[in-house]
Amino acid sequence: MNQNIFPQVMKLSHRSILGMIRQPQSWAPGLFFPLLLAAVYASQFSKAVTIEGFPFQDVSFLDFVLPACVIQGVLFGSTNSASDLAADIENSFMDRLLASPVSRGSILLSRLASAFIYGVTQAVVLIAILVLFGANIAGGASSIISLVFIAALLSVSMGSFGIAVALRTGSQEVVQSTFPLIFVAVFVSSAFFPVQLMDGWYGAIARKNPLTWVIDPTRRMVIHGFSWTDLGQSLGIILAIASIGIAMSIRQLRKRLARAQ
Amino acid sequence: MSAPIEAEELSRSFGSLVAVDSINLSVASGEVFGFLGPNGAGKSTAVRMLTTLLKPSSGTARVAGFDIAKQPSAVRRKIGVALQDAAIDPLMTGNELLRLQCVLHGLPKRSGLKRCGELLERVGLTAAGDRRVGTYSGGMRRRLDLALSLVHQPEVLFLDEPTTGLDPTSRMALWEEVRNLNKDLGTTVFLTTQYLEEADQLAERIAIIDDGKIVREGSPASLKSAVGAPTLRIDVSEPDVLLARKVMTQFGQERPARRNRIAIGLVSGTTGITDVLKALDDAGVEIHHVELDEPSLDDVFADATGRRLEGGQV
Repeated sequence: MNQNIFPQVMKLSHRSILGMIRQPQSWAPGLFFPLLLAAVYASQFSKAVTIEGFPFQDVSFLDFVLPACVIQGVLFGSTNSASDLAADIENSFMDRLLASPVSRGSILLSRLASAFIYGVTQAVVLIAILVLFGANIAGGASSIISLVFIAALLSVSMGSFGIAVALRTGSQEVVQSTFPLIFVAVFVSSAFFPVQLMDGWYGAIARKNPLTWVIDPTRRMVIHGFSWTDLGQSLGIILAIASIGIAMSIRQLRKRLARAQ
Repeated sequence: MSAPIEAEELSRSFGSLVAVDSINLSVASGEVFGFLGPNGAGKSTAVRMLTTLLKPSSGTARVAGFDIAKQPSAVRRKIGVALQDAAIDPLMTGNELLRLQCVLHGLPKRSGLKRCGELLERVGLTAAGDRRVGTYSGGMRRRLDLALSLVHQPEVLFLDEPTTGLDPTSRMALWEEVRNLNKDLGTTVFLTTQYLEEADQLAERIAIIDDGKIVREGSPASLKSAVGAPTLRIDVSEPDVLLARKVMTQFGQERPARRNRIAIGLVSGTTGITDVLKALDDAGVEIHHVELDEPSLDDVFADATGRRLEGGQV
């Protein structure tokens, strides 16, 4: 299609964001639960940082869980975009789009763009609240920007898997049923406890969990300060996950379109 | 110039089910064409193919001069579509949805805004334009759906069961709207419906579809007259029955009727009723009640399929 798809992507993303804002039940849990967990952990496990073998010295537990809290919040909301897409398929809004001359790619791009915007907003709000409650980010602006960027891209990469599921099944219920997987993936990672102190199968899984590979370097940036190496490692893992998720979404979109046209 | 909608042997199967079976259609420019049939007859499947949402299993169709399978993008630029179950995002306002539709059709911002205002006014939703669609009534949603399908001034408008589930007042308001836009803009309208009255009121020409096949096609009037003569029913007192029957059967063949009622197929058509009444009066028959029923589209449907569209056997 030779038309300029930029205005279409912008307008469809705008719709997607408006839809999210107007359904507080879709974004509120992603703010509330991570903050609740951070508050509970920071008060109950404040002594954990003194355990022998804890990889960071002279930090508060709140500083330790801050990146995990942000990433968890973003992941909680990462299925929103996919769930809204599934709703579009379920209630035939997708048919309205497909019967118009809209570029097919812009349907996918707008959902990914809205996941990115959602991730940025969620991360900024969570960081602001945690800093207000005394969290310290060592690297200053560079670390904060990196954290926001990592969170937003993680939202896109995990969202893209949800979008593939939405396009494949066209069912909101199925998309939402993937949520517990994300929940478990966060808990069986280094999000709330360092892998160095984990034993047995739990530790073995956590060490192989890609989320650990994203969280650990991100955490180092928060506690030790900004580092290109850490940023590179986090983004590298996220982009690898995203490329698989986006490839799957494109494949499912093509299959869905082929069924129709 | 070719007809806005032309289909040749168009078919679509889902597994072993043949939903649309080799239909041929030709809809003229500026015409309101009605596609009438019961639920599950294949109406929506046919519309989904013509609007490029579904690939035909076989056969071809051209809409606005473009092949639906080979040039779907070109078709989409020329058509407006309001699908069954009005797929409208309840979280957005009427205005927001119209602006979105303008962008999808590539209208520049300034003319898009103007167009949105005009369309809201046309469908009587100016006051509700900034309200979320979730608060709209069924009739308002359908009118908005119609407005959405018109943003790019389509050559051909597809309306899939536009009034299903609406109350009579909203239904009539929507009919008026369809009539107006056909008259004002000359838009060709392809309308599917399961309502006889809707097809009768709106469509200049109709096709009746049953079990995926087109079983009758023509103007409502010609289809009805092809079914046969209108039925004249006259109620008389018991002692007059024999005499009345003798008089009335001179004007047409007797049809089944209840006790003390004579029914005939009036060969001379509706205008012949005065002759019958005069003959009965001359013969001294006292008339209690007169009914004259023109054949309905339901009679046409029954004649073609052996079933009534509104339920029951013939």
